[in-house]
Amino acid sequence: MSNLLEVKNLSISFCTPYGEVEAVRDVSFELQEGEILAVVGESGCGKSVLCKAIMKLLPKNAKLKEGTIKTAGIDITAYKENEMCRLRGKLFSMVFQDPMTSLNPTIPIGNQIAEAVLVHNPKISKADLNRRVIELMELVGIQDADNRRKLYPYNFSGGMRQRSVMAMALASSPKILFADEPTTSLDVTIQAQILDLLIDVQRKLNTATVFVTHDLGVVARVADRVAVMYAGKIVEIGTAEEIFYDPRHPYTWGLLRALPAYSKGSDRLYTIPGTPPSLIDPPTGDAFASRNEYALEIDYKEAPPMFKVSETHYAATWLLSEKAPKIASPMIGGKHGN
Amino acid sequence: METKTLVEINNLTHLFRLTKSVAIKALSDVSFSINQGEILGIVGESGSGKSTLARCLMNIHKPYKGEIFYKGINICDKKQFAANKKMLQKNRQIIFQDSNSSLNQRMSIREILAEPLEIQKLFKTAAEREEHMRYHMSFVGLEPRFLDLYPPEISGGQRQRVSIARALEMRPELLVADEPVASLDVSIQAQIINLFKHLQEEHHFTLLFIAHDLAMVEFLCDRVGVMYHGHLVELAETKELFNNPVHAYTKALLSAIPVPDPRIERGRKILEFEGVDMTVRHDFNDIGNGHFVLQDEGVTV
Repeated sequence: MSNLLEVKNLSISFCTPYGEVEAVRDVSFELQEGEILAVVGESGCGKSVLCKAIMKLLPKNAKLKEGTIKTAGIDITAYKENEMCRLRGKLFSMVFQDPMTSLNPTIPIGNQIAEAVLVHNPKISKADLNRRVIELMELVGIQDADNRRKLYPYNFSGGMRQRSVMAMALASSPKILFADEPTTSLDVTIQAQILDLLIDVQRKLNTATVFVTHDLGVVARVADRVAVMYAGKIVEIGTAEEIFYDPRHPYTWGLLRALPAYSKGSDRLYTIPGTPPSLIDPPTGDAFASRNEYALEIDYKEAPPMFKVSETHYAATWLLSEKAPKIASPMIGGKHGN
Repeated sequence: METKTLVEINNLTHLFRLTKSVAIKALSDVSFSINQGEILGIVGESGSGKSTLARCLMNIHKPYKGEIFYKGINICDKKQFAANKKMLQKNRQIIFQDSNSSLNQRMSIREILAEPLEIQKLFKTAAEREEHMRYHMSFVGLEPRFLDLYPPEISGGQRQRVSIARALEMRPELLVADEPVASLDVSIQAQIINLFKHLQEEHHFTLLFIAHDLAMVEFLCDRVGVMYHGHLVELAETKELFNNPVHAYTKALLSAIPVPDPRIERGRKILEFEGVDMTVRHDFNDIGNGHFVLQDEGVTV
């Protein structure tokens, strides 16, 4: 399979009155055609910035310091706004957390989807346009599309709004879909439906998806691969099986152990001590060291490189170094201790 | 241990009038009680009336019909409420779902936290109050420097923790928490949940926990109530409800809980709930061991 998206050594900084915030630090990953990559991490770890940086949707005070972004082999790092406009929607598009802020409350849903179709296909005939809008609405599971396209966003429930936003994002059949916490504001039942819809769309259109979330619980259902981010860096990346059954980074252990399913019958949930470091002046060495109960001396001096666990599984922790003492993962035994 | 009832809710019905002739029934005929020192979870989809229930309990909405007793005081009755106002206002606290709109943007965090303490005159000197506030800030994992900031300057998770601190600093007997952890990161969620557990064990505090994260509800709560379209459809002890759900809606809801295990999760099917006609008369039947289910009239198990 070819790499649809290739990000190499990407670093993004924001210039703020308090200093330079290093939001994304030296991130590299690839995305293949038709796969779902989940990006997991606490808020402020740079997951959304990473997605927006690839689509070049960041505010003016953001600066791409280093790195290259390649899509289908073409380097788009230096692309200007007018060139990006041609790519957005067609090559990649994005679904945001709150569907209400992505929709215009004064325009019927159908017209908003039609607008998204027209941007990349301005010469489409009216009949074709209507057909396409209905087709898109049916694709995302909105029944009775012919009548519902005349409704306004406030007539729709949260789940239906998120479906409409997805219809708009899919209007020009993008190759890559960035979904930034698409289910966070929704109920469990609706969340499950939207996740199934994501899988469904990926299978039907072979769209590669970058699924950003802070909830490891929802990742298991959708993700082929998982990347765990901490303080602007990817600290572990691997297939969903590798991350859930054989995690290697202490931060991934912490995230998993904080879930109620892993509480193993104890009456307290595991918490990761401390808070994430400020990214204005990130600490030298491993940013996670001060919260890491397994931290080694070298963690405070030098940032760990990505150690290879298998062909698909990499983790940035000194624990994987040959010289490190062997530490048994607290995750062995899996959830509920069985 | 003997269980004492802290709150009793009888046939609570609440209507929102949209126009003179159109009204939405947000709660219909809800009856249950909250025991002292228990954590009661309320789950249900959005629009099922969970938040309206919380607001009725806190005297924010005046219920259309029905009664709410807090320690035997009918809080819907104006006279009884006025006579016990101070006690009721101090002992009941609420954490709202949306921390963005529940904190005044023009007040610093210090002012936000100090206001309820000043109103209740809990401390004589400012220094004592300051120390109390700092203690509760560290309780929820915030550094003292946040006291000088304003709500828009901090992140959503931090704002939510400020509202949790504001509720907890009053040392309430009853805390109504309307989706308190939904907007927080996993690790901070765990901290807050542990904090609730600690408070329950050490201070014998009662919590009405409204959430849609069922895994968290299963972990935290002693009893769970399931709401659907303004009705309480099922109420039981947590273990009983999760192992032996009776109502079709509860079954569908439980099947939607995500499991952090890729192999199980990919093969799992989510039940769909067709919806039932809520206009016919229903009975809230006890099917044993304090397990209540809403059933069609005349059905017995």
